[in-house]
Parts: sequence; C-alpha cells; structure tokens
Amino acid sequence: MSAATPGGFLLVLAIMLPMAGVLLALLLGGRHAERVVMALLPVSGLIAVAIAVVVWRTGAPVAYVMGGWAPPLGVVFRADGLSAAMLLTTAVVVCAIALFARPVFAAMEGVAEARAPLVFWVLLIAVWGALNAIWLGGDLFTLYVALELLTFGAMPLVCLDGQAETLRAALRYLLFALLGSALYLLGVVLLYGAYGTLDIGLLAGRVRDEPALWIAAALMTAGLIAKTALFPLHLWLPPAHAGAPAAASALLSGLVVKGSFFLIVRLWFNVMPALANPWAAQMLGVLGAAAIIFGSVLALRQARLKLLVAYSTVAQIGYLFLLFPLASNAIGPALSWNGIAWTGGVIQAMSHAVAKAAMFMAAGLIGEALGHDRIAGFGGLGRVLPMTVLAFGISGMSLMGLPPSGGFMAKAMLLAAAVGEGQWWWAVVILLGGVLAAGYVFRVLMPALAGGELALPLCATVSRRREAVVLALALCALLLGLVPVRPSEWLSQIGRVGAAQVSAP
Amino acid sequence: MSGLLLATGLALPVAMLLAYLSPRLRERVPALLPLAPVPALVAALFGQGGAIVLPRALLGLSLGLDAPGAALLLGVAALLWIFAGFYASTWLRGEAGRGRFVIWWLLTLTGSIGTFMAADLVSFYLLYSVVSLAAYGLVAHDGTARAQRAGTIYMAVTVLGEAFLLMAFVFMAQATPGGSLLIRDAVAALPGSPWRAATLALLVLGFGSKMGLVPLHVWMPVAHPAAPIPASAVLSGVAVKAGVIGFIRFLPFAAVLPVWGGALTAVGFCTAFFAVAVGITQSNAKTVLAYSTVSQMGVLAAVFGMGLAAGDPGVALVAAFYAVHHLLVKGALFLAVGVAGASGGRRVWLVLLPALVLSLSLAGLPLTGGFLAKLMVKAPLGSGVVGLLGTLSSVGTALLMLHFMRLLATVTAVDATASAPVRLSGVWLAAGFAAVAVPWCVMAVLWDVAAIGMLAPGAVWSAIWPLLLGGVLAIALGRWGGRLPRVPEGDVVVVAERLATVVRARADLFVRMDEMLGQWTVAGVLLLAVAIVLGAAMLAG
Repeated sequence: MSAATPGGFLLVLAIMLPMAGVLLALLLGGRHAERVVMALLPVSGLIAVAIAVVVWRTGAPVAYVMGGWAPPLGVVFRADGLSAAMLLTTAVVVCAIALFARPVFAAMEGVAEARAPLVFWVLLIAVWGALNAIWLGGDLFTLYVALELLTFGAMPLVCLDGQAETLRAALRYLLFALLGSALYLLGVVLLYGAYGTLDIGLLAGRVRDEPALWIAAALMTAGLIAKTALFPLHLWLPPAHAGAPAAASALLSGLVVKGSFFLIVRLWFNVMPALANPWAAQMLGVLGAAAIIFGSVLALRQARLKLLVAYSTVAQIGYLFLLFPLASNAIGPALSWNGIAWTGGVIQAMSHAVAKAAMFMAAGLIGEALGHDRIAGFGGLGRVLPMTVLAFGISGMSLMGLPPSGGFMAKAMLLAAAVGEGQWWWAVVILLGGVLAAGYVFRVLMPALAGGELALPLCATVSRRREAVVLALALCALLLGLVPVRPSEWLSQIGRVGAAQVSAP
Repeated sequence: MSGLLLATGLALPVAMLLAYLSPRLRERVPALLPLAPVPALVAALFGQGGAIVLPRALLGLSLGLDAPGAALLLGVAALLWIFAGFYASTWLRGEAGRGRFVIWWLLTLTGSIGTFMAADLVSFYLLYSVVSLAAYGLVAHDGTARAQRAGTIYMAVTVLGEAFLLMAFVFMAQATPGGSLLIRDAVAALPGSPWRAATLALLVLGFGSKMGLVPLHVWMPVAHPAAPIPASAVLSGVAVKAGVIGFIRFLPFAAVLPVWGGALTAVGFCTAFFAVAVGITQSNAKTVLAYSTVSQMGVLAAVFGMGLAAGDPGVALVAAFYAVHHLLVKGALFLAVGVAGASGGRRVWLVLLPALVLSLSLAGLPLTGGFLAKLMVKAPLGSGVVGLLGTLSSVGTALLMLHFMRLLATVTAVDATASAPVRLSGVWLAAGFAAVAVPWCVMAVLWDVAAIGMLAPGAVWSAIWPLLLGGVLAIALGRWGGRLPRVPEGDVVVVAERLATVVRARADLFVRMDEMLGQWTVAGVLLLAVAIVLGAAMLAG
C-alpha cells in the first residue's frame, strides 16, 4: 500500500494543475484569469474522469508516493472509490459553475482588471484544487492544509460584492471555520503524539481503543462538524450561502461543505474503522436527524428564495450524518447493510452537490431576472423562465427523493439500511424530511407554475445558454438515479479498503 | 411482441410531450390529445400477459400486464382518456393557459397508464408519483384562489401518501428473498414478512389516500371540483384508480388475513356512508360527484377487505370490474356537468335523461352496468351484515345521485337557445353509451353470463328496492334538506387547515431557536458541548 500504482501521477496532476492555474492567473492578472480557468476546465475534468476510470478498471485504489518516500517519512496520495466519485462530482459541478458565471464575471471592455472577476476566477480554481487535495490526501496533516486552503479560498467568495452585510457573514464564517480548524489540529497533534504517524493507512493499523484516540476523535469530529455546519453549529451557513453571488453559493453549498464532511468520513471509516463507537455514531445520527427537521422547517418559513435554499442545505447535510449510525459496522448483526448505507450516503453527497448547485444557480437566475428573490412575487414565473423553473423543479425532485433522481436512490438505500439494521427511527426521519422537502420545494413551484394574469415584469433578461447550463446540471442529478446499483458497489468496496487493511498488519 | 405493445402505450404520450417542446409541432398537439391513449387501449386488448424491461437509458422501467384486472382497468382507463381527450381538445380552443394544461395532461396520462402496467416496485413508484404529482397541474389549472387552495391540499395529502408507500415498498423489498423487485414476488413474500403489519398499514394508508378513504379523502371534494371539466373527469374517473390498482397489485389476497380484512371493510363502509352523509349537504354538482367517488371507493375498499379476510384472490377481478364501471360513469357524468352548463331549452333533456340513467347505474339500476357491478360484488360481500351494508350503500348512492341530478338540472343555461358545441355533446353521449355498454361486453367476455342468473325476479327486485328507498329519501331531502347543516367542501379539511395554522405558529419557535443558535456565545458553548459529549460517548462505549 505504500507503493505507487500505475496512474498515480494523475493524482498529482489533479491537485497541482488547479494550483498552477492559481499562480498563473495571479501572475498574468486582470483579464487573463478567466482564460486560464477556461483552459484548465477541460484538462482537469479529463483528469478526474481518467482517475475514475483507472479506479473502476483496476478495482483497487490508485496511489502516489511523493518523491518515492514511503510513509511515515513521506506523503502519499490515494484515490479510492469514494475519492473518485467526489472528484467526478467536483469536476462536473465546477465546470457548470464556470460556464454559468462566465457572463457575470466576464472581463469588461476597456477595464484592465476588476476586483470581483479576478478574485472569483482565482478562488474558483483554488477551491477546486483544495477539494481535490481533500479527496486524495492520504495523511491527516496534508488534509489539514487542504482544509485550511479550502476555508481561505471559500471565505472571500462570500463577500465578493463587498457589502457590509456579506462581509459580516464572511467574517462569521471565517471565525467559526477557524475554531473548527483549531479543534481539528488539536486532535491531529494528539494522534501524532500517541501513534507517531499521521498517515491514514498506518494509523488504521496502530490506533487502539484508548482515551487518546477518543479525545482526538471527539475534538476532530466536533471541529469538522462546525465547518460542515451540522445543526446546531450551522449559524454561519445561511447568511454566508444566501449572501454570496449565485455562482459562489453553488460552489459553497454544493461542494465546500462536503470537504469537511469527507474528513469526518475518513476519520471514522478509514482511521478508526473497527473502533467507531456506537454511542458516538448514534449521537452524530441524532444531530443529523435534528438538522433534517430543523433545516426543513426553517426552509419552509423563509420568505426569500436564496435563504430557503440555504436552509435546505442545512437539512440535506443532516442526511449525510445518518451515514455514521447506519454504516459503522459496530452496530447490528447485519453487516451487509453497512455497504448499502455507505453507498446511499455517498450518492446523497454526490446528488446533493449537483442538485444544490443547480438550485442555487437557478435561484440566481430568478433573482437576476426579477430583481428580487421574494417567493411571494413569483406568480407566473414559469412562463417567463420555463427552463430555469424546470431546472429548479428537477433539482427539487432530487432533494425530495422522488424517482428517478439520485436523491431517491440515496434515500431508498438509507431507508433500506435503516430497516435492515432494525434502526427504524432513522427511517421515520428520512421520510419526514422528504415530506418537508416537498413542502419547501412546492412553496416555490406552486406560485411559479400558477398562471399569473399579468406578465411578470423582468428587470433583466437572462441568456438561454446560462439557463441551459443550469438545466443540464439539474439533469445530472437525475442521471445519478440511473447509476446501476450493482456497479455502484464499487463505491462501497473500493471505498472501504481502509477497513479491509485493519486485519493485515 | 405484446411487451412492445405495452411500451408503446407509454411511448406515445411521452413522444407527444416531447413534440410539445418543439415550437413547430406545438400547435398540432392539442388536437391530437385523444390519440395519445390509443396505444394503451390496443395494449390492453392484445397485450395481456406481455412483459418487457426497458433499457436503463429509458429508466429501466419494467412493464407487465399479468395481474388480474390490470388489462381491464388499463383498457377502460384508456377509453375514458380518449373521451376526455376529445372533450379537452375542443375545450382548449378558447383556453388561455392551454400550454400548461397540455403538458400536465400528457404527464398525468403517462403516469396513469403506467401504474396499470408497472411490474416492479421502482417502476410502480415512479409512475405512481408521475400521475400523483402531475395531477396537481390539472387541479390548480384555473389559477384562482380556490384552485390554489385545492392544489395545496391535494399536494399535502399526495406527498404524505407517497411517503407511506415508499416506506411500504422498502419493507416489501427487504422481505423479498433473492433481491427481486418484482411486485409479484414481493406480494408473495409479504405474508411471511417480519414487517407484515407495518407494511400492510402503510399500503392501506398510501393507496387509501389516493382512493379517498376517510379521513384521507379530504382532498377529493376540494380538488375534483376545482379542476376544469375534462380534468375532473379523468381525475375522478381514472387517477383515483391508481389506488385501486395498488390494492389489486399489492394486497396479499392469497393469504387469509381476517383482522386486516375486517378493518379495511370497516374503513370502507365508514367512508361509503360518511361520504353520502356529507355529500347530500353540498350544493355544487361537481362536489357531489366527488363525494360520490369517495363513497364508491369506500364500497370498493370493503370488497377488498372481504377478499383479504377470506383469502380470495378472485376478488381482484371483481373489484376491477366494479372499478371500471365507476370509472366510465363518473367520467361521463363530469362531462355531463360541462355540457349541461352550455345547454338550454329542450336540449337539456339530451343531457339530463342519460345522466339520470348513469346516476342510477351507480346505485345498481337493472340493465345498466351498475347492476352488473353490484351483482358481482354480492359474492365477496356475502349475505350477512356486510352484505346488508352493501345494499344500504346502494340506497345511499341512489339518494346522493338523485341529489346530484337535482343540482345538475339547475346548472343548465338560462338561455333557451344555448347549445353546447356538437363535439362536446357527442363526446358526452358516446361516453355515456360506453358506460352502459362496456360493462356488458366485459361481462360477456370474462364471465358466463347465463350462469349468473341475473334476470331472475329476485335479483331484479333486490336491485330495485334500494333505488325506490333512495328515491323516497331523495324526496324527503328535497323537502326538508334545507334544515341540514351546511358542511364545507372537504368537511374535516377545515379542521386540518386550522390545525396547520396552529402548527405554523408553533414553527415560530424554530425561528426563535435559530436566532438563539446564531449568537456567538451560544454557538461557542455548543461547539465545546458537542466535543465533550462526543468524547463522553466514546468513553462510555
């Protein structure tokens, strides 16, 4: 496992290319940033596809050892099934966001350099690089660096427009994220002190059921929860995600929160797979369940569309945390259900990323066209922006868990696992969450589909191409539901290779 | 080959939907609406026993037409869709929002046809969701405050029903050995399922909400009258039958389940009589028709219940027969309301007389399809108390339908020269004729008519006396009906709406809680608390 595998260089490219793009864009500056990003998109996208293909074909993780120095001396990057899935999702979502944002952050005629476009394009690829580093990082310190990079890349995106309100939201986000990072780092230090390594593979073989591990795991998990905005630590998310420009909101809500979630998954399922504690897992599940109910009810209460979508993210994050009670094999006799829950959780992460990004962009288009995003003023919207409303509806279908969407697959699998493991209480929450999600999605669709007698006054026209991008992304969320169940087992099999290594010293 | 027939039944409406996206073809689609269900009709006639699994790109839908009564329901449903399609294509000519209407119409049609053919759990859930959700567009089409309220209530019950079904299907999939998702296998494994009670309860709740079993009937008397005439016809006629096919496909009739069967029968008769009691206080003809649908579905639920209690798989076909009769009659009567509204003078009788026959057909008027339907359900209902309740429900139906006829006579145009477009009158008369003729044809094909002895004096008398009693009650209602309390449309829904207001006010608690959680000190303390509790949990484990 410490040796590099064929195709390992792809992992380095996946991280280094966006980082090189950041430097290049800053170096060239001004009007060239956009071009650098546009040139980078297809290349990085293809690399993500290539990695996924290699993982799929070989049925084993792809690894790359930096400089040939095996851990614990060196640093290793590794792509398992889960990484590959997240890499692909990231590539798809980032490409869609870039195409969507192009007219908004286009270089203006006669202006050499504008602040907002430059910052946006540079940070877009910076966030992409940071996310790829998180998906691929093989040791906890590299992951810490990637996490910080992600935070500092995402924070300025919140306040791109420079208004006081969004600045306040961004600072709130930054402070809370830094608190989370501090807790995470504290846990990392404890682990290093106790076991002398931070490589995930080596740690998995060395960790013992003892206070040092418990405290470290508790600190790291709590810190990462704060960064993921799991209830009750979600305070920073709604103002930040609702205040950012639509393209940035899509990136933040769809992908950035998944970064810190992914680290919790790595910690629980790869670092300490055999020691995952049933009580702690249940507690994470309880927080997730509370998030589903709380976030959905608040989404139902919002008067503004972007806030509604942001609170929906609070709710949907909750589903991800049901993974811990359902997929950690410490509970229940039915081990095979763990795999199903795991696959369901991963599909939930993927389909939420795609659907939520599409939803935020649709909300952005609606806001641009109407000049406001008050739901009460949406009467007759379906007639003026049919494609956008359709995109919103399709991504809403995925959030509700209607077939044939990815959200349906995810919920069906989580439900099946909950029933199979006898933890039926999660099933009740999942269903209730679906009903509430239908409530907040239809709150938007109902006025939009109603035929307003008067033509809705538009303050700007939005281009058909941007509408098409959003619709295409929403359709991707639908396509996820068509992923055949059997091959999606590679998510669970290859994804949990760390678990398999526990037995092998 | 017959499998392909099934696929084309779904393919044509979908193709028309896609054609509607092209601006060039768009104008032609509304006129072609009646053609959309034709392949489904052909599939019902010649595709029995067929099965097909579509490729994954086409959602991997698995279709089949082997359940008893499925082909019957499919064929007659397609027939009503054709009639209603004719009506809709004429009515749409002067309609403002016709684009929207056509899209929702075709979507509802696709789902409705599909539920009769779906062979596995996922396909069924998908198509059932399509018909349920798309029907919202038809209910709320008018865009008035009334239609929007109806749409909201409809959606609330529908989404709830979907959640019940999803859970039921997950239970069923788990209990099926070998990982098969076929409905056939899932139902066969249901009696031995460790979650049998939960599954059955969820199935009854889910499909019961679609069929309008009390108290989940609340959406029907609100939603069906709010929709435009052709939409009401298909909603009350066909869409409701998605629940019926659900019961036919999913209830394990091969097992003897007396408790469950008894409970379902009880709920069914409560529904049947409750709907009559509320229905006779209504003053809108379409609302009365909706309550009649609720009542009829209650009787059908009682039939299912008796079948379940006796472990009699034959009840499925009988129920399907009862359902298709109701389907045609109710569809035709909704069209009658539309035609009556545009007719005046002596032409009125061209509406009222056939409508009277159809109305009494629901109560079992001899020589009509309803007579046959009542005759067929006699066996499962038995001759005891349940059989008596069945007969009394006919009395109630006669009363309710005569009340409907009185209201229908008042909606006719004041202008004596007014006349409905010929096409609309023609469609109405054709549908009315089919409602009488089709049950006879089906009867002749499926059963040995001579052996039933339907025209024996005893049988005829037992069909007539409930009508006479109903007639007497209707006269009494006409005289003293004014003293009855006026019950709002959807009866208990008013209570539910008040409850919703209270709940909404309670949700303010969440908003205040969110504000509190947004304070730095609180958030900081919570962050530490989460870390400590997690650590403590690990320590404890």
